[in-house]
Amino acid sequence: MSIMEYNGSAVVAMVGKNCVAIAADKRLGQRALTVDMNFQKVFPITDRTAEERIIEPKTFSNLVSHMLYERRFGPYFVEPVIAGLDKDNKPFVGTASDNLFGMCESLWEPDLEPEELFETISQALLNAVDRDAMSGWGAVVHVITKDGVITRDLKGRMD
Amino acid sequence: MDAYSFSLTTFAPNGKLLQIEHALAAVSNGSTSVGIKAANGVVIATEKKAGSSLIEVSTLEYVVKVCDTIGMVYSGMGPDFRVLVNAARKSAQKYRRIYMEDPPVRILVKELASIMQEFTQSGGVRPFGVSLLLAGVDERGPSLYQVDPSGSYFPWKATAIGKNMINAKTFLEKRFNGDMELEDAVHTAILTLKEGFEGQMTETSIDVGIIGGLGVEGGAKPTFQCLSPAEIKDYLSNIV
Amino acid sequence: MDFAQFQQAPVSVPTEHHSHGNRWDPYVDNGGTSLAIAGEDFVVVASDTRQSNGYSINSRYSPKAFELSNGSVLATTGYHADALKLVEHIEQRAQLYFHKHDRAMNVSAMAQMLSGILYSKRFFPYYVFPILSGLDAKGKGAVYTYDPVGNMERVNYQAYGSASALVQPFLDSQVGFKNQRNADPSRLLERPQAVKLAIDAFTGATERDIHTGDWLDLFIIDQDGIHQTKRELKHD
Repeated sequence: MSIMEYNGSAVVAMVGKNCVAIAADKRLGQRALTVDMNFQKVFPITDRTAEERIIEPKTFSNLVSHMLYERRFGPYFVEPVIAGLDKDNKPFVGTASDNLFGMCESLWEPDLEPEELFETISQALLNAVDRDAMSGWGAVVHVITKDGVITRDLKGRMD
Repeated sequence: MDAYSFSLTTFAPNGKLLQIEHALAAVSNGSTSVGIKAANGVVIATEKKAGSSLIEVSTLEYVVKVCDTIGMVYSGMGPDFRVLVNAARKSAQKYRRIYMEDPPVRILVKELASIMQEFTQSGGVRPFGVSLLLAGVDERGPSLYQVDPSGSYFPWKATAIGKNMINAKTFLEKRFNGDMELEDAVHTAILTLKEGFEGQMTETSIDVGIIGGLGVEGGAKPTFQCLSPAEIKDYLSNIV
Repeated sequence: MDFAQFQQAPVSVPTEHHSHGNRWDPYVDNGGTSLAIAGEDFVVVASDTRQSNGYSINSRYSPKAFELSNGSVLATTGYHADALKLVEHIEQRAQLYFHKHDRAMNVSAMAQMLSGILYSKRFFPYYVFPILSGLDAKGKGAVYTYDPVGNMERVNYQAYGSASALVQPFLDSQVGFKNQRNADPSRLLERPQAVKLAIDAFTGATERDIHTGDWLDLFIIDQDGIHQTKRELKHD
């Protein structure tokens, strides 16, 4: 088993019309052993209401990319996803990434409104983690719009 | 080569296989069994003959269930019958294991017939001293078959085997009609046995098996069942 | 000929598969994806037709779903040569059954038989993941799925193959109504929806799985028989 599958997880992000969504499951494991069922995997980087200069997602993305490459020969064992307004695409990572790819490729369509985007990303994540033993145990979804961030917890199968 | 590796069933100059004739004689000495195919099911029945009044008749098994949809009865030698019952049940379960459904009656009959045929041609064995009546239902409806020691088999509308078979068949020829319902068929079968019955017929001196309730769309799966003495008693009280 | 020559002949025969580290392997994964969706009185079966070996494409049109003589469809993934042999094996047994019974096999009988065929090769299995589809005795859509050694399950929908990880969660969501409040998970799809989802699943899978693509063989099994159509998928 690859070290990238040590903790197990599923993280996904999607763009909609003037909004983006990012979501993650809540499981933290050590291989097959589940350690935490309410583990935070999505972290805010900038607060859009902050007055001072805030880092653009694109810039931040370049920064992360650079930080990861700096450790080219002793990497961080993480696969980050960055979502923000504006400009992004829809990457997905974790042990359930094949499942997420399949879900997103068939469910996602351009220009979804925030609520539609929420439904889509939730369906994508929940159904993907249900077919992956290493992810799941509930999920959290953040939809970022220009007016703020909507955060919702999803109940999922606890097995 | 060893003489015992040859079949004991050898042709007589007149073209007959005497061992088979003798086996049929054993059948003719056995107690009478009848079978009738009704429009909606089949009944098989036989005399339950105990050699002594001291025998525990309730334990005797003449009519047996092979699988959910097939039952059988015999005339002739009891021990030989039990060998065939084991073979039939095993064959039915093997079929089920392969196809997830009960065997059609004809398939099970052919299987038994081929076993009985084998015992007319193998070395060191004798033919079975029994004829069988098989009653069953499959997707083609109800059917009644007879299998003989030679391995021949016949589909019947109604028939009898054993000691009183000639009289019984004459009786059935008069009484049988194709529209007969299962209830009527059970009565007729009991009446047929009664024709040549020695002594008083009671619920413990005959054995009856029925299979019915078939073919109705969405209806319950037909199941073979041996009648209890109480059920037989009901039929007998209607006859007298 | 000099007899002494034979006495000096080497004792062991060199064989292809005895070299160390590069052991001969009788199995190949030929990739590709198959799925089936059962309806009330029909089944939709779909398989892509790409046959690959690693990064190479052996064929762009090598069907892996097969019509059987009893009106059912066997969709496969795994090792293509084994799949072809398995179909021959099934058809041979079906023919025997036909002669014995004077009629074609039910799908349920064939399903149980297929489980037996697969398990009979428990120690040198057919490397095939079969999905058997047809109408059951009551005319209802029936889908039976297997692993290579004969574990069997009757299901309402299933995806197997190189893109199964992509397609199965999609079917869970859209066919099985999983993770949807107030939805009846046993509800069966109408035919147009089932066909649309089968096609959508493959357009999605083809986008991300390199072993799936080229053409889509689509079968609809209903009371009138099997209707087969062929659609284009991406060729890249």
